Amino acid sequence: MKSADIALRNVKKSLRDYAVYFLTLTFGVCIFYVFNALESQQEIMNVTKSQAAIFKELGSMMDAISAFISIILGFLIVYANRFLIKRRKKEFGVYLMLGMEKLKVSGILVMETLYVGFFSLLAGLAMGVMLSQGMALVTAKLLQASVSSFKFMFSSAALLKTIIYFGVIFLLALIFNTYAINKQTLVGLLYANRKNESFKTPRLSISVAIFLLAIGCLGYAYKIVLGVGPSSIITDFKSFTAAVSLGAAGTFLFFFSMSGFFLKLIQQSKSLYLKNLNMFVLRQINSKINTAYVSMTMVCLMLFVSVCTLSTGMGLSSNISGKMKEEAPFDASLTAYGTQDENGSPVEAYPGYDLVAAAKEQGLDLDALSSRYLAVRYYGGEKTIDLELENDSAGIILDTKAVFIKLSDYNAVLEMEGLAPITLGENEYAVNYAPINLSVRKAMDKYMENADVITLRGVDLRTSPKNLRRYILEVSKNLDYDANIIVNDELVEGLPILRDTLHMNYLIQNESSERMFREKLSGIRLSANSKLQLLTREDVMETSNSATTMVTYLSVYLGIIFLIAAASVLAIGQLSETSDNIYRYGLLRKLGTDDKMINKALLSQISIYFGVPMMLAIVHSVVGISAADRLVINFDRGNILSGSLFTSCIILIIYFGYFLATYHGGKGILTRDYYLQRKGIE
Amino acid sequence: MPAILKAENIEKYYGNKSNLTKALDGIGFEVEAGEFVGIMGASGSGKTTLLNCISTIDSASAGKILINGKDITAMSPKAVAKFRRKSLGFIFQDFNLLDTLTAYENIALALSILKTPAKEIDARVRNVAEVLGISETLGKYPYQMSGGQRQRVACARAIVANPSLILADEPTGALDSRSARTLLESFRQLVRDLNATILMVTHDAFSASYCSRILFIRDGRLFHELIRSDESRKQFFDRIIEVVSLLGGDSVEIC
Repeated sequence: MKSADIALRNVKKSLRDYAVYFLTLTFGVCIFYVFNALESQQEIMNVTKSQAAIFKELGSMMDAISAFISIILGFLIVYANRFLIKRRKKEFGVYLMLGMEKLKVSGILVMETLYVGFFSLLAGLAMGVMLSQGMALVTAKLLQASVSSFKFMFSSAALLKTIIYFGVIFLLALIFNTYAINKQTLVGLLYANRKNESFKTPRLSISVAIFLLAIGCLGYAYKIVLGVGPSSIITDFKSFTAAVSLGAAGTFLFFFSMSGFFLKLIQQSKSLYLKNLNMFVLRQINSKINTAYVSMTMVCLMLFVSVCTLSTGMGLSSNISGKMKEEAPFDASLTAYGTQDENGSPVEAYPGYDLVAAAKEQGLDLDALSSRYLAVRYYGGEKTIDLELENDSAGIILDTKAVFIKLSDYNAVLEMEGLAPITLGENEYAVNYAPINLSVRKAMDKYMENADVITLRGVDLRTSPKNLRRYILEVSKNLDYDANIIVNDELVEGLPILRDTLHMNYLIQNESSERMFREKLSGIRLSANSKLQLLTREDVMETSNSATTMVTYLSVYLGIIFLIAAASVLAIGQLSETSDNIYRYGLLRKLGTDDKMINKALLSQISIYFGVPMMLAIVHSVVGISAADRLVINFDRGNILSGSLFTSCIILIIYFGYFLATYHGGKGILTRDYYLQRKGIE
Repeated sequence: MPAILKAENIEKYYGNKSNLTKALDGIGFEVEAGEFVGIMGASGSGKTTLLNCISTIDSASAGKILINGKDITAMSPKAVAKFRRKSLGFIFQDFNLLDTLTAYENIALALSILKTPAKEIDARVRNVAEVLGISETLGKYPYQMSGGQRQRVACARAIVANPSLILADEPTGALDSRSARTLLESFRQLVRDLNATILMVTHDAFSASYCSRILFIRDGRLFHELIRSDESRKQFFDRIIEVVSLLGGDSVEIC
């Protein structure tokens, strides 16, 4: 029999036991292709110039991430191969004993790796191409691009890239496998199963000490993450590194100490320990945990990364898109303003323009094109509003220069938005700001409690919390810290004009009216030191869509890869352990243990292996996500916890799927062996 | 005295019609409570097949096996497992102790499977360990024990649940002669003091000489039966050797 035939036969044989491994590989290839083929999806869409730019940006981002992802997948594959080889030591030993050369045995292994690689690549690519068709619709929705004609998409670039990347990974696995076989001795291979495990369980007192140390490490890491201001977590590299390394070390020590600790703890309760097969299960775990704590740590940290990226990413993106839509109250806002020098002071006084008249001069009939339009003038001055932003240990003082609006202009804007107008007393002013940023909101509430007295034209103006408004007054991409002071009309006289803004709602909302507006308005000429800026709802949406798409895809890509990597490391480890332990389960059967009890023992063993790292990862994630949540509040918008719930469900479903696959696979291994024995085949 | 085990005309075939091997060819015998019965035969005579059929690890092709009056050949797989853990104790040639468990836990496992209350388990394990002289060994793992100690732990595991019948398959096969002697003395002690019933398969005349009755098997059939009278063990051994030399095949170990 040629080695290729032996290899093919082996692959077929192990396909049943290692379905999880093949599926993970296929899944990995599939996801790799789908995300690298994103760029080609624009084929089926009507993309604007800026959307094309987004696609390009997406493509280059995926390039960078894919390099990272391939490293993770490479580790996973090499790790899985190590297990597969370990399990088959005896088989290789028999080949060698029959007089096969080591080179030929390695050859069999090479062929096997190639077969597995070829089939999983093929299956993964097929799956990826199909999934990619569906993904295009999701992308179109995220970017709000219209689908022109649905046709079959295929990215040869992504195909090539997938083949090359995975080719390299399989090559690495191959080199590793060959090395692993070559360094084995015949006696080591043949008696691989008989080697007595040595139980180096540390003394209880040491275990407890290490456990306490682990808890201390984790607690301190949590404290750093939660205690100091979240902005300093990313700006202060030192404390970030400290938190990460302490967290990782704490996780490692936690699982390390569990080896001695957990067993001793349960042994204290004789009735629990001696019940059913509990004793057997615990000893099983204990015999392996000495070597398994490294993989447990890895799995736990990978799950943590996965949960955090997925939920934070999803939460963030849903918030961005949600908030951005509110941010555009009109179809377009055209703003004229004076240019500033590098110090931020105006080059010359902005004279103020009548934008409605300027538009008319350009032959733009606003009445014919828009359902509503409105020009608003903003006034500046020396007055600043000092906001003390909270939840930052340093405490940022935001001293933005106040922007004044006449009461009549303000009410007109409100009316155009369909909101009720406000009234002001003789000595009163009101404050309006865009309610985007939570910390600004808090600071603003605080400010209103004890607001400054403003003196305009000799009149002292005061305000109270009831005069605080939270509306968005214009189309803008960045509204976070904009605060406007609304005063009675006559009081603005004498204040320098800051800018003029023309708000418009199109009469007919389509791309052509948007284009026409853009063309006509760009013809308006102002003085040399004044500028015009047109922002349309479309612009804001595209920015938001681009950000949403990027964040969503990035987090899904990273999160899912980490998740399947973690879950399959567990699954492969458990399955190979189950087949290593066939003789132990066989002995239990001989002693008269029925299937139900054995399956229960298997189930509880696998549950512990899947459950314990997940539980610690969840604790990590809760801390991580709440830190990220505050980070988001501070730097961007919104609250990400809502997004976490949805993603948690998805994560749990995938994880649980792996768990079930492992349990059924393990049960299959045991049952098959049992019936083979009964039939006398083995 | 009621029969604990009653085998009627057991047959076991391997292969198909054109190439049939009869491993067991109509064996029938009875074992009464408190007996220590040995089964002897050359390699391939069918003694291990017989034991496997009785122990429900294998199923007989024809015939009836009654243990405590219950026909185990007609039981469902689930009932078989239940029967096995309740009524049978096993001692194997290669001990078959779980290397992850201590001696104590290996013995306790047999009771845990029976869902015995934890309080009871402790007392019973210590009690049986006392009888077999392995109280000192209880905290050790199998790889820390000698072969003799391991086999006595296996023996304790087999006896601890008070089974109706203990089946031992070449229990001294992996032991040196001193350890073998200690183990066999323990067997006799179990029979005498705890009224255990033991069925032991062996090809070793020395081990067999500890039994109270010996069944000889050849080519799947009952060939001869020896019952120990008031004679000494040495005399009984000599009688065994005579039969063994008639059986042929196996070389005989010298006492």
